[in-house]
Amino acid sequence: MPETPARAITAPDDADTQSHTPTHMPTTNRPINMGKTVADQASRLDGIAKVTGRAMYARDYYMDNSLFVAFIRCPVGVGRMVSADEDAARATPGVVEVTIDRREGTYAGQPVGRIAAESKTALRRAMRALNARWDAGECKTEIEHVMMPPPETSEAAQRALAGADHVLEAVYSTPVQTHSPLETHGAVVDHRGDRAIVYSSTQGVQAAADGLEDALALKRSQYEVRCEYIGGGFGSKLNGAGREGIAAGEVSRAHGRPASCFTDRDEDHLDTGNRPSSRTSVRVGFNNDGTIVGGHIHSWGGVGVARGGGGVDCPSGHYNLGQMQAGNESVQLNAGAPRPFRAPGWPQGKFAEELMVDEIAAICGADPLAIRLRMETSEARKEMYQLGAKLIDWNSRTANGSGRGVTKRGLGMGGTSWRRFPARAEAEVVIHRDGSVVAKTGTQDIGTGMRTVAGVLCAEHLGVPLDHVDVAIGRSTLPIGPGSGGSMTSHNVAPAMIAAAEDAKAKLLDALADTLGEPARDLDLVDGRILQRGEPVMDFAQACAKLPREQITGRGEFSRNGGAQQHLGEGTSDGVQFVDLSVDTETGVIKVNRVIAIQACGRVVCRKTAESQIIGGVIQGLSYALFEHKMLDRNTGSMVNANLEQYKILGTDDTPLIEPVLWTKGQTGVRSLGEPPTIPTAGATACALLNAIGAPVRHLPLTPDKVLDAIEEAQP
Amino acid sequence: MPDQTPSHHVPSRVPSGVPDGGVTRRSFMRTVGLSAVAATAQTQAERLGDAQPSTEDTNQFGPEPGRIRLKINGQTHQLTIDPATTLMEALRWHAALAGTKEVCDRGACGACSVLVDGRLVTSCMMLAHDAVGKDITTVEGLAKGERLDPIQESFIRHDALQCGYCTPGLLMASKALLSDNPRPTFEQIKQGLSGNICRCGTYTNVFNAVLEASGQEPLRDPEGPDA
Repeated sequence: MPETPARAITAPDDADTQSHTPTHMPTTNRPINMGKTVADQASRLDGIAKVTGRAMYARDYYMDNSLFVAFIRCPVGVGRMVSADEDAARATPGVVEVTIDRREGTYAGQPVGRIAAESKTALRRAMRALNARWDAGECKTEIEHVMMPPPETSEAAQRALAGADHVLEAVYSTPVQTHSPLETHGAVVDHRGDRAIVYSSTQGVQAAADGLEDALALKRSQYEVRCEYIGGGFGSKLNGAGREGIAAGEVSRAHGRPASCFTDRDEDHLDTGNRPSSRTSVRVGFNNDGTIVGGHIHSWGGVGVARGGGGVDCPSGHYNLGQMQAGNESVQLNAGAPRPFRAPGWPQGKFAEELMVDEIAAICGADPLAIRLRMETSEARKEMYQLGAKLIDWNSRTANGSGRGVTKRGLGMGGTSWRRFPARAEAEVVIHRDGSVVAKTGTQDIGTGMRTVAGVLCAEHLGVPLDHVDVAIGRSTLPIGPGSGGSMTSHNVAPAMIAAAEDAKAKLLDALADTLGEPARDLDLVDGRILQRGEPVMDFAQACAKLPREQITGRGEFSRNGGAQQHLGEGTSDGVQFVDLSVDTETGVIKVNRVIAIQACGRVVCRKTAESQIIGGVIQGLSYALFEHKMLDRNTGSMVNANLEQYKILGTDDTPLIEPVLWTKGQTGVRSLGEPPTIPTAGATACALLNAIGAPVRHLPLTPDKVLDAIEEAQP
Repeated sequence: MPDQTPSHHVPSRVPSGVPDGGVTRRSFMRTVGLSAVAATAQTQAERLGDAQPSTEDTNQFGPEPGRIRLKINGQTHQLTIDPATTLMEALRWHAALAGTKEVCDRGACGACSVLVDGRLVTSCMMLAHDAVGKDITTVEGLAKGERLDPIQESFIRHDALQCGYCTPGLLMASKALLSDNPRPTFEQIKQGLSGNICRCGTYTNVFNAVLEASGQEPLRDPEGPDA
C-alpha cells in the first residue's frame, strides 16, 4: 500500500468544521511523470483561452446574415396536433421556412417540424403565430405503469434462497437524470455552395462529419466539422451531428446563408438524452455472518421511446454474490430517449448494490467494511478500502442510527471500476524549421483535459518542454481520433501520439545526422537540447533551423490489433469512495461533509486535470444522489421542472470537502478515468445515510421527505 | 439548520435592473398602481439622461430596433437593438463579446454574470436599455492586455475549470466577492459563489482558487510535493 502521509492544513477561521470532521487532508499519491521534460504541475493548456473568454464554443458563433432554426415540438406525452396556423407563421416578418413533418407525438419535446427565421425574435413570434393546438392522449410515464414481472427464479437460485439464514427483499429505484451540459445541443453551419464549415457542440468531430453528408449534399472532402471547445457533454453529444446539426445543415444549404440551431434549456431537458430511470428488485439470501449465498436480482430501465439502453449494472461483478440470478428489461415510456451518460447503467446499479450490501450488514450486525473485504473480487480495491477507511476515520463510525442529538453523522462506502474500450486513433507530430511543434489528432477536449494530455505526451516523447508544443484537435479534417465517450479518449490517443512523437524525433535526428555528418545513433533530444554522445551540442531551435526542408512529420497510429500496444495499460481502472455526512433528523436535510475518492487510472499524464476528473465525478454523483430528478406530469407526460432552478443541480453551498487520491500502485500505461469516479458516489451516500439514521432510503434522490419517512418507519 | 435547497437558489446577487435608489417590488407596484404611463415615461427620461448625449441614439423604445450606446470594458459600443434585447444578448450577439455565456436565460445559473457599475448582475435578467450609461465589465475586461487578473491566474493554477463554460460567470462572481470582501472565509466563498452552477464539478478547485487569490492558504496545493 502506498504511503499517504497526512499533511496538516489549518482550516480557515470560521470554516464549518464539525468536531468529528478531521481538518487535515491527505496529499494525493502524487505520480511522477516518466520523463523530466514535463513538470507534474503542468496546468491545462487552454486555461488562458477559457479564463479570458477567448475560447469560442459552437454556440458563440453569431454569423452575419445568419438564420436561426428551432423545432416545433409535441408538448405532451401522447399528442395529436389538431390545428396549426402555418400561413400565419410563414407571414411573420423574418420567417423563411415553416415545415410540419408529422402531426402526432409520443413524448413531450418530440420534434414534429421546424421554423427558420432571420432572428431569434422572429422565431419566437412565428412559434406564437403558429399557435399549434394539441389533443393529449393517455400516456405512460413510470416504469411501474408498463413493466413485466421478473422471470421465474431458477432452481439454483431458489435452492440458495432456501438454504440461507435470511432473505432480504427490497426494491431500489433511481429517477431520470438529464445531462444538462451548460452549452446546449446544436451547431452553426456555414454552407457556401461547394464547401461548408460546421461549428458543432459535439463529443465526436469525426462522427459528426460522417452524419452530415446528406444534409450538406457535399462530399466528405468539401466540409469540416470544428469543435475547439465544448460546454460539457457527459455522453449526450455522442450522437454524431445530431438533429440540430442536420437541421442547421439543411437550412444553410437551402438558403445559402449560415444557420444556427441550438436547443433552449427546456428543450435540452426534454429531447437530448438522459440517464434512464431504474428499478431494481432484489431477493437475496445471506447467512448470519453476512455471506451472500445467492438469489435473484431483476432490474428495469425506463428508456422512454427508445428500444433499449435500460441496462442496470447490478450485480456489478465487484462482489462475490454466490448463486445470483440476474436479468434486465428496458421499459418503453412516453418520454425522451436516453443517451449514454457518464458510465451508463453503473451509478443506478451501484446505488442498489452498495445499499443492499449495507442493509445485509445491518441485519447481521456486521461491519460494512469487513463484509466488503470478504466479498470483494479485486485485490486492488481491497487495499483501497483499507486506505480509505484510514483517511475517513472509519473507526469513529458508530452503529446505525445510534447517534445522539438532532444531527446524526453517517459513513458509507462504495467501489468502482471501468475497463478499456479500444478505438482507432491516428496522430501526427509536425516539427517546423522555426522550432515550433504541432501535435495533431482528430479528437476533442470536452473538459477532461485531452488537449493537455496530447500536448504532454508529445512533449515528453519528443523531448521538448511543454511550451514548445501546440496541440491541434477538434477538427474533422485532422488524423482520425476517437469520440470522447466511455473514458476511451486518452488511452486510445496516447499510443498513437507517443508513436508519432517518437517517429518525429527519429526523423529529426536522422536529418540532423546528415547535416552534421555524424551517425544518428549518437544523437538524442532531451529537454529541448540536442545531445551528441550525451553532451549538449545545440538547442532544439538551432537544430530545427538546420532542417533541409520546411517541416518534418512524425506519424503514429493505434488500433485494436495494430502497433503501439506497449503503451497500453493493463486491467481495469479501479477505485473506492467514502462519504461522511450529517443528517438533521428534524428536517431530513442531508449535509455531506467529506468525500474520499481513491482512483486508479494507469499512468497519470496530467495530474491537475486527472484530479479534476475525480472531483467532478464525485460532484456529479452527489448531485445525482441528493437532488436531480426529471419529473414528468403523469397525466400529460410533460416535464414539470425543465429548467435549472427546479431541476436541481448541486451548488457551491452543497459541496463538501473532496479529496481525490490517485492510486499509482501497479499502474502501467494510460487507462480510463472519466467514468469511474462518478459510479460509486450515490451508493456510498445512501450507505452513509443508512448509517446515520438507521434505516435505508431506497429511492433516489435522497430528499428530506424520504429521509423523514425512513426515520419515522425506523422508530420502534 | 442546514439548507437542503441547492445553493444556487440563494439570492446572493443584486436583482438586475434595480436602480441604485433601491426600488423594491412593493414600491414598484405602488408606482405602477398610481400611474403606469407616468412611471414609464419617467424611467425613459432617466435612461436618456444617463446615456451619452447623441442625436443618433434612440429616443423611443420599440417596436423597431433602435440605437443605444453601451460602455463595455471601458469602450463605447454603438448597437442597434430590439428593445426586448437583454444585456446578455446585446453582449453576445451585438457586441461580439461571447465570453458571457448563455445557459439558462432566466437567472438561475450565473453563467452570464457581469459587473454593472461594479455590482454582480445576471445579464440575461437585465434589459440592454437598462445598462445604458453604466460601466459594464465582462470576462473579456478582466485581463489588462496580456496580463491576467490574479483571480484568472489562480483559476488556472488550481484547475478551477473543466469545459470552461461556467468559468466566465464564476470569475465575475469571484471578482465581485473579492471586491466586497478581500479576505472571505471558506464559508463566505461558498455562499458568495452560490449563484453559479458548474456542471463538470469544479467547485472545490474554485474555492481554493479564490482563497489563494485573496492571499490565503488554499485547502489543497495543486502543485504540492509528491507524497
